[in-house]
Amino acid sequence: MNIYVLSLGFGLITASILAIASVGFTLQFGVTNVLNLAYGDVMTGAAFVAYLVTKAGGGLAEALVAGAGSGAVASYGLNRLVYTPFVRRGTRLFGMIIVTISVSLVVQNGLQAIFKATFFSLSLPRPSSYTFAGMIFTSQQLVIIGLAVVAMVLVHALLSWTKLGRAMRATAADPELARSCGIATDRVIDVAWLLSGALCGTAGVTLALNVSSFTSTTGGQFLIPVIAAAVLGGVGHPYGAMIGAVVIGLSSELSASVISPDYKEVVAFIILIVVLLIRPQGIFSEVATQKEVAV
Amino acid sequence: MTPPLLSVRNLAINFGGVQAVRDVSFDVVEGSITGLIGPNGAGKSSVLAIVSGFLSPKSGSVTFDGNEVSGQAPFRLARLGLVRTFQLSSEFERLSVIENLLVAAPGQSGERLRDALAGRWRWRDQEAASIERARGLLDRFEIPAKEDDVAGDLSGGQKRLLELARALMAEPKLLLLDEPMAGVNPALIRRIESHLLALRDEGLSMLMVEHELGVVERLCDPVIVMAQGQVLSSGTMAELRTNQEVLDAYLAG
Amino acid sequence: MSSSMQFYVSNLLVYLGVDVMACLGLNLQFGVAGLINFAFIVFQAAGAYTAAVLTLGPSTAMGGFQSYIIGAHLPFPLPFLAAAVVGGALSLLVGLVALRRLRSDYQAMVMLVISLIATTVVTNATGLFNGSNGLALIPQPLKSTLGLSPVGYQWAYVVITFVCTILVWVVVRRITGSPLGRALRAVRDNDAAAAALGKNVTQLRLVAFVTGGAIAGLSGAVLAQFITAWSPGSWLFPESFVYFAAIIVGGSGNNLGAIVGAALVPVAFLEATRYIPQFGYPGLVDALQWVVVGLLTLTVMWFRPRGVFPERPQRFARPPGHGTETKT
Repeated sequence: MNIYVLSLGFGLITASILAIASVGFTLQFGVTNVLNLAYGDVMTGAAFVAYLVTKAGGGLAEALVAGAGSGAVASYGLNRLVYTPFVRRGTRLFGMIIVTISVSLVVQNGLQAIFKATFFSLSLPRPSSYTFAGMIFTSQQLVIIGLAVVAMVLVHALLSWTKLGRAMRATAADPELARSCGIATDRVIDVAWLLSGALCGTAGVTLALNVSSFTSTTGGQFLIPVIAAAVLGGVGHPYGAMIGAVVIGLSSELSASVISPDYKEVVAFIILIVVLLIRPQGIFSEVATQKEVAV
Repeated sequence: MTPPLLSVRNLAINFGGVQAVRDVSFDVVEGSITGLIGPNGAGKSSVLAIVSGFLSPKSGSVTFDGNEVSGQAPFRLARLGLVRTFQLSSEFERLSVIENLLVAAPGQSGERLRDALAGRWRWRDQEAASIERARGLLDRFEIPAKEDDVAGDLSGGQKRLLELARALMAEPKLLLLDEPMAGVNPALIRRIESHLLALRDEGLSMLMVEHELGVVERLCDPVIVMAQGQVLSSGTMAELRTNQEVLDAYLAG
Repeated sequence: MSSSMQFYVSNLLVYLGVDVMACLGLNLQFGVAGLINFAFIVFQAAGAYTAAVLTLGPSTAMGGFQSYIIGAHLPFPLPFLAAAVVGGALSLLVGLVALRRLRSDYQAMVMLVISLIATTVVTNATGLFNGSNGLALIPQPLKSTLGLSPVGYQWAYVVITFVCTILVWVVVRRITGSPLGRALRAVRDNDAAAAALGKNVTQLRLVAFVTGGAIAGLSGAVLAQFITAWSPGSWLFPESFVYFAAIIVGGSGNNLGAIVGAALVPVAFLEATRYIPQFGYPGLVDALQWVVVGLLTLTVMWFRPRGVFPERPQRFARPPGHGTETKT
């Protein structure tokens, strides 16, 4: 019984990181209809920024802010300078996948070129440990879980109660209609990428915090579970992504304990494939929209 | 009395709780251009999709040329002689005009892997015959484009003509036309009409879904009217114009 | 030519042949038939592993330092043939399950994940193909029969590769130049219209997928028996992307484009630069190569998305007596 409870604890942490990441990912997809396969590498970039900040003497708070900021700037820049121009040029869905993968190659290998293929850790003081009902958490991990909760609440508040949030939902649902209602969709999209980029960067820092060491490929490897969580909940639906994150986070940690640690990532792979093949609109969408079926 | 070429009985289908088609039955007689009209949401497109095999009905049957075909895949229906066109442009955009036609030629042995690998000599003669037939159709329809032009570059009207010629290349017995005049300019409408009448006189049967009632009046006899998933009435346009039920449906729908 | 120069050139030529074969196969699947096979490299790997386990002999021999299934000493060309068959059979299986009417980027994701799953399974189930260490000391075809010097054998392998490449070229040319190729392109452009005209879309797609997979398998066998080793590191997902980049740069849907793309991207960029002096720290050049591949792909997608040699429709000769007058 003990090992299950322990993995439940690990699952909560993974789910927290996944939740921050996949909500960001799904927001990007929702407003631009592009599967941004460079997302994981922007996370890695944020992790490196956090590393540099902590090496220069900063603490966890500074590292998080710097990471979130770098994620926001990088994501905004990617969308403005690369993705939107390609979409305007008429690049269609699969073409955009090639574009995002190309960006991913450039970022991931660019980071490797700069930092070499070695592993890094954030320079932070050793955290203290706490035990809750059979689960063990370090203070840093508790911060991660707390961050995830705060982020989810903020996203929910933004989407439900603010004018910007409503504009974002309208743009995601039907950009043409939103524009004709007077919504400055370009501005909304910019903000969406800044916000989701901040989430991406935060997720990258928390990921670096949680693994003993990270390298240029760490974020990219995390991308599939992120996409799995987003797709499971219905791409473009932030609340679905949160639930997807919990499902994937818990199930992968549990299966790592029960089956084998080597196959941990396979859980996310299998969930993603099964969802795409059987119900591509995800669990929480009612109807398969034209968006999901072959265009 | 020869049996009708197409016989539709008690078709029904629903989408997420909405009865799009309920208990639809009608016949298409050989050698006719049968019209299928009705206000938006009447279920005409669904009926067309079911008859052409793109949707499976929840219940009911479709009999074509003596074969029970409901639920079969579209390609099987096409091979039996039931060919449909689409409302939106559906040309093979990266193929040339003549390649678009050649694809439609039925029974090409060169489409089988074995014969393709064996070499040109296996399918050369069939290909030459298809090319000749395709060129004949291009001449007949006077499509104002070169045969080597890429189909995606054609104008909307040229694409319509191309798709009509392509459908004929498939040697259909029954042609299902899905709003063939949608978005077509009046001069071209008249040209297409005369082509369709000529084809009918040569023995080709057609079932046409169309919104332009003028076109329907000039071409179709009989005309079937649908509303809210059911067949309201059928007859000539003149008869239907005086049918109160039909008038009400159009005003309400 | 000095001996080391001969090794360099013959190496390049074998890699060129392998990559040309792979690109022709992928072009058939993606360029002609429109199938987004982001798991392409898995089928090349399947062929490579097949050739390896059919030539290595029983795994218990040589002290059993590597473990793998089967294990036989089949003579050339049987391992190559088997590799093609395995590539094709695996493609049939994957094609039946994973090719769906999905939007194209979702379809890409499905195949990408299949590639990742394959890597994970082979890496962890060490009894299959010796896990992450992979297989080594793979015997080479006709090595003892020919009894040549090392340099001589290199050139012999170039000939073997050349013959296989020509074979693949003939197969692909015959398909694309025939009504089958035309039907595949039609299905790619509008599968509903193709079905409405009597084409069995599923069957046509599987024909393209399986043929492309068999070609991939053959290319894997040729490569694996050349470098005499094969491990998961040789077939990670980015390798599939390299082939996609190659046919996009060269011209998707055009066989000549696939050949040119193979020469430019996997060969010129990745193999030829292997031999330039390693500047900076070890691994820097490799990382920069990938950065260049990414940038090159973006550049081509921006300026010339249809590639160096875009797809061209087939032209048909007119019998004498017909002019080429434009119709009005």
